[in-house]
Amino acid sequence: MITLQELERHLAQLAPDHPERRAAVVPAMQALQAERGHLDDAAVAEVAQLTGQSTTEVEELATFYSLIYRRPVGRHVLQICDSACCSMRGADRLLASAEKTSDVSMGEVTSDGTLSVLPSICLGLCDRAPAALIDGEALGPLDEAALEALLRRLRGKG
Amino acid sequence: MEAILTRHLDPAKPLGLEAYRAAGGYRSLAAAFDLKPEAIIRTVEAANLRGRGGAGFSCGLKWRFRGLDAPRPRYLVCNLDESEPGTFKDRHLLYGGPHQILEAVIVAAYALQVERAIIFIRGEYAHGAARLTLALAEAKAAGLVGANIDGSGFDLKIEIHLSAGRYICGEETALLNALEGRRPNPRHKPPRPSVKGLWGQPTTTNNVETLVNVPHILLNGADWFCGLGVNGGCGPKLYGVSGKVHQPGLFERPMGTTARELIFNHGGGLAEGRTLLGFLPGGASTAFLLPEHLDMPMDFDPVARAGSRLGTGGIIVLDDASCPVAIALNLMRFFARESCGFCTPCRDGLPYLEQILAAIHAGEGRAEDLPLLEELCDKIAPQSFCAFAPGAIMPLTSSLHCFREHYEQHIATGRCPFDAANEGGA
Repeated sequence: MITLQELERHLAQLAPDHPERRAAVVPAMQALQAERGHLDDAAVAEVAQLTGQSTTEVEELATFYSLIYRRPVGRHVLQICDSACCSMRGADRLLASAEKTSDVSMGEVTSDGTLSVLPSICLGLCDRAPAALIDGEALGPLDEAALEALLRRLRGKG
Repeated sequence: MEAILTRHLDPAKPLGLEAYRAAGGYRSLAAAFDLKPEAIIRTVEAANLRGRGGAGFSCGLKWRFRGLDAPRPRYLVCNLDESEPGTFKDRHLLYGGPHQILEAVIVAAYALQVERAIIFIRGEYAHGAARLTLALAEAKAAGLVGANIDGSGFDLKIEIHLSAGRYICGEETALLNALEGRRPNPRHKPPRPSVKGLWGQPTTTNNVETLVNVPHILLNGADWFCGLGVNGGCGPKLYGVSGKVHQPGLFERPMGTTARELIFNHGGGLAEGRTLLGFLPGGASTAFLLPEHLDMPMDFDPVARAGSRLGTGGIIVLDDASCPVAIALNLMRFFARESCGFCTPCRDGLPYLEQILAAIHAGEGRAEDLPLLEELCDKIAPQSFCAFAPGAIMPLTSSLHCFREHYEQHIATGRCPFDAANEGGA
């Protein structure tokens, strides 16, 4: 887990690009989330302290950005695109299949902590529809069989 | 047309600095540094390079309007927040050719005489941002970014900002708020960002596809660039074709290429036995066009004359197995979810539209819902704060106009006629 000191060092490295402390709020949230999996209350307070804002201001941003997680997520995060092109090519079936295979509904963490499935706006992968991101890596075109195999593999390995 | 912007793209492993230079990369820097900034701006203006992010505004004019005597510090923002459904061109540029982006940013920064450029990348493209970060380190080490670039006396810092989601961040002024660490709501204009932008300083924002054209214009001239287009268009264009086509993909074609060529030649046409219902010419926030528009040049002015927008040039194709009500609902759900929530017509109006569309699609629509949808569209768009809601309304009003009988059928029969059809829905 990243410590406050480490985060301060991280921000000091960013400082030449972020002379205004407040401008470092997104990279700071990202750094803490990368270490802890999600942005917990303590992390919100730390980001606030480091960027010279109130916790309310940081909370406003943390809850605004879709890729900042205020609740725990699984060790792997699967984002399935549900926008127009993917939807026309079978995204709804993928979303249903992911829920069924992982045995939890969208946004929840599997009981073993390995996986969260999140719906996503257009991922810019319309040429690979229906598409998804697994831990940031693009997948597509996906069918239900490929998706189920992937989920089993991820959960098998933890 | 030979590939210009996609020539050296490699999605698997983009060219490193040495290979990119060996392929002719970064040659435009010397060409730029030999010229006065105003000469570059004149050339870009003469080339009629229009903004590829969707607005289609002249890049050269935008640069000239900022003014070469604008107070310092000044900023350049390269917009790579691509999130428009149906649009994936900037992803190809980022993942496939990070050095091409850096070269373009350096040349544009010199033309605008800015000391700091920021490349704003959507969070979902984090792996692409990592590639660009590596390329930037290589460029810095080679003296292509930093102080006194190539002995020119020109200093430039380039920063990569990885964002954290939300479509609205691609809106120019919301993006500036995001960079400042504020909630990314759009700002009031005026003042224009060219006068008062990032941290109150003159700021120029260009889409990444717009910028990557600039080095080629400098090396080959404005006439060469205009000559690349067809049907009155200028330059190359990265068109996307997706939705109900055989071969969805990115196609670099002359600006002005017809929708027919893009959909049927490059996109491989429709599935066996299917016919074209219609298409969105340039992403979700454009108006539907019909088969009768297939021979129209896909360029800003012709598409505008047909009542739509070229937008990003990301064509979304619907065939006769696609339920237009389901698509309209999917698009509205997207916009309702992505509204920043700042102004009431957008925050409350778009979910209301979504709710009515959902009822119609579920077979629970009422005859009075269609005039109600139209009335809401008429009221929401002009009353909202930024261009987001008008963009959200465009596909719906055009869908109601183009595919009205489908809405009426849903309401009259109390069911979606496409439900049984495979992959008809959205």
